[in-house]
Amino acid sequence: MTSRPWFVVPLLLAPGLGLILLLIGSVVYIAIAQSFGGFNITGTTEGYSLAFWQDTLDRRVYWRAVRYSLQVGVVSALLSVALAYPLALWLRKPFPGAAFIGAILKAPLLVHGLVAAFLYVNVIAYHGIFNQFMQAIGIWAEPRRLQNDPGAIGVYILQAWKNMPFALLLLTGSVQSISDDVLDAARDLGARAWARFWRVVLPLTTSGLQAAAVIIFIGALADFSFQVIAGPTNRMSMSQLMVFFKDRGDWHEAAVVGVTLMILAIAGAAVLTAFLQLLGRRRWRG
Amino acid sequence: MNLVQNRVIRFLILSLATLTIGSAALAQSLDGMTWDEIVAQAKVEGEVTWYVWYLQDDLRRAVQAFEDEYGIDVIIPEGTNAGNADKLFAEASRAVGDIDVFAWGFDSFANVDLGTLFQPLSMLPADDGRVSEITGIDGGDYALAFWGNQSGIVYDPESVDAANLPQTPEEFASFWQANPGKFGFNYENGGSGPSFYQNVLRIFSGLDFSDGSDAAERIAALESGFDFFNEYADLYVITGSNADNIIRVSDRELWLAPAWEDHLAGLQKRGEVRSDLAFYIPEMGMNGGGNGVAMPQNAPRPAAAAVFIDWLTSAETQTMFNRDFGTAPMHAEADDSFALVPMSQRAFQQAWAAQPFQGAMIEAFIDNVILER
Amino acid sequence: MQGRWLDRVLLMALLIVCTIWLVVPFGMAILWSLVDPSEPWTADRLLPPAMSFYRWTDMWENSSLKQALTTSYLLAPLAALTSLTLAMPTAYALGRINFRGRELAKLAVLLPLVVPGFVTAIFFTALLFQLGLHHFRFAAILFAHAVLALPYSIRILTVSFEQVRQDHIDAARDLGAGWLARFRVAFLPALRPGIFASLLIVFIQSIEEFAIAFVVGSPDIVTIPTLLFSALGQDYVRPNAAVLSLILVVPNVMLMLILERLLRSANPTLASGKVL
Repeated sequence: MTSRPWFVVPLLLAPGLGLILLLIGSVVYIAIAQSFGGFNITGTTEGYSLAFWQDTLDRRVYWRAVRYSLQVGVVSALLSVALAYPLALWLRKPFPGAAFIGAILKAPLLVHGLVAAFLYVNVIAYHGIFNQFMQAIGIWAEPRRLQNDPGAIGVYILQAWKNMPFALLLLTGSVQSISDDVLDAARDLGARAWARFWRVVLPLTTSGLQAAAVIIFIGALADFSFQVIAGPTNRMSMSQLMVFFKDRGDWHEAAVVGVTLMILAIAGAAVLTAFLQLLGRRRWRG
Repeated sequence: MNLVQNRVIRFLILSLATLTIGSAALAQSLDGMTWDEIVAQAKVEGEVTWYVWYLQDDLRRAVQAFEDEYGIDVIIPEGTNAGNADKLFAEASRAVGDIDVFAWGFDSFANVDLGTLFQPLSMLPADDGRVSEITGIDGGDYALAFWGNQSGIVYDPESVDAANLPQTPEEFASFWQANPGKFGFNYENGGSGPSFYQNVLRIFSGLDFSDGSDAAERIAALESGFDFFNEYADLYVITGSNADNIIRVSDRELWLAPAWEDHLAGLQKRGEVRSDLAFYIPEMGMNGGGNGVAMPQNAPRPAAAAVFIDWLTSAETQTMFNRDFGTAPMHAEADDSFALVPMSQRAFQQAWAAQPFQGAMIEAFIDNVILER
Repeated sequence: MQGRWLDRVLLMALLIVCTIWLVVPFGMAILWSLVDPSEPWTADRLLPPAMSFYRWTDMWENSSLKQALTTSYLLAPLAALTSLTLAMPTAYALGRINFRGRELAKLAVLLPLVVPGFVTAIFFTALLFQLGLHHFRFAAILFAHAVLALPYSIRILTVSFEQVRQDHIDAARDLGAGWLARFRVAFLPALRPGIFASLLIVFIQSIEEFAIAFVVGSPDIVTIPTLLFSALGQDYVRPNAAVLSLILVVPNVMLMLILERLLRSANPTLASGKVL
């Protein structure tokens, strides 16, 4: 490997990472300052203090929102990826109709999330098509209220529907780079399908897996519209809480929740990356 | 901290400071101009941009009269309530912005520092009929009401008999027990549900809601109301928004739900919900509401904005709004014979609770009722 | 034999899933767009009681729609290309150079994704105003979209760069190929899926982005999400939202197919033969 001058890496990083740090970094700084009272969008600054953080961290609704949002983030990411893997593997080798199937699976990417949420709510409405179908085939005696279900199944379904194509997109590229020889060799050595996945496919596609899972996690963590339209009404997501404070003019509290979101997103992304890295390196015992 | 770091932080703080201070200089100052001069200036400016988040198509038709009278074009951009508000805040630091006239719910005006964002409307000709305070919220010199509405209960006449409509919390409880799961209300994304539950809390607690103190004992007095909601928690539904309430009644899932009269009328006119849905205000009282307009500090065409606000809040225009939209007119001398709700029921109108008590009450309700479901 | 049977079962299962996955939502959207305003379509009816093309003609005559379509379809591809260009150098560094702090850099790249919504809508746009970019509204929105989508393009391209085979690069260099030829032969086959994915995702991000396009663009520049959010907000006109979504879907599908054909997101191993 030829040795590079020291300035090459920073130069390469400048247009991408550099711009991000410069512009978004400033914005993040403003948000953090707002959470500590050092800045106020409405003009009157009281000076830095921990009061807003202490006050918000004391609230029960804050901690419940943290737990709920983390749960939604992790489950959505893992669910989307778990659904995408088999499909990516199936579509690895081109066969007649593979392109068409690939296009169909990617179609939800083209539908706006907000529209998807409203369509979903309409399908599961009390007198809607799904309820009528279940009654028609005799599984249910009467309609069931499925909207805003307390288990957040609606949110997970919408997240999976919207995000699985994204994971599929990333994993397809990764999975296609695995040479047939490796898989053939593994099969010849007696490894069954599951073992082939864990010991060959997963380690070789860890990078794509990490990228997909982390990006989906961050998006689901900060979800607002799916939660508001189809989510449980006895839970608030962090974004929902943030907007709640902001609409009341409690900008500092809103900033506290916002900064919490940012910390959770980055920390969660780091943890998820490390966890998936470990998964990819696991040695199968026995 | 070394010198370089210090300088960087100072630079950042200065840039942030400019965001907070905003701009002291207006695009053009209207101080010292007579009304005729302002009107002349407005015609020179030639157009005015009015940010309003609802019924944009119908309002574009309604402002035709203004355009014909003054020859000034009115631009009503597409937008949403949240989007418009975000734009207002983001632009606060610009010397000259895009917004001439800004419409907002009066309860939203109450949550911001009006003097920082808006200019006083003292340049308008004196008119005592104009309304700057509605249902307990005062717009001061900055906001004038142009649209009045009322919250109440929307019901499905196919399932509920008009003679048996619940009027008091106890009657609502009886309705819930007789018809479980047929009543729903929202606690966010709209004021109709909050209007309902806050009035129930008002009756149970016996507190004076015009007192804004959020002392602990006042919040404790709301306990009996929370117990009421928790006792019947399985018998009613929490919905997602104003619109969700009305849609689910139209879909025949719910039989009763809180709603705004003008919102319901609008959805019916647009063919979005069934036209046979009916509306009433229960005797226990529900809150009135209204929307107002204000002029941002950095309005690009302040003279045109002033002339437009003057037209919008005049008795003639308010009468026209009453006739075309069924709103409660926001001028003392306007004619209100076309209001959607009969005058007899308007006697049940209540004012919103004063701040910061209202905020504390909302939080306590979420903590003790919503999150406990 | 076993494999063929399995493939058939999978195909059947997929067809059923696809019906639920796609046919139901899209079918409903089509039906919603055909609802006539004379009678609302309540959830208990299988089909709208009154159907007509009223909504389509009404939306088409709405003067903002054509402008919104033009603006959105000009903005999104340009944002995708801009984001791709900005991301390439960084993705190359992250994918192929093992420098200290690389994992941290990969994490830092995600910063735009973690910024909460209202912070982007208010503070980031205020920053754009401060920088004076609002004098060129379209360029400002374009730039903002490209920057906000950088996490996607950088991470996607990084994955692709990691898959470029060193032996290909070495072989090309050894054979005396110039810089451009090396890129075409060694890098491009592995990068194709990544470029395709990146362009598609950034395109979609841009065409769905509401807050910045509205705060910076309004009132002069109208994008599709502005109309969409208007229709699903206070006024809640679902048929209009359905029309808008469908108007969006057809060009999006065509673009995706064209892109896929152009880049022929082919199997990179086809270029590599059978050597690992």
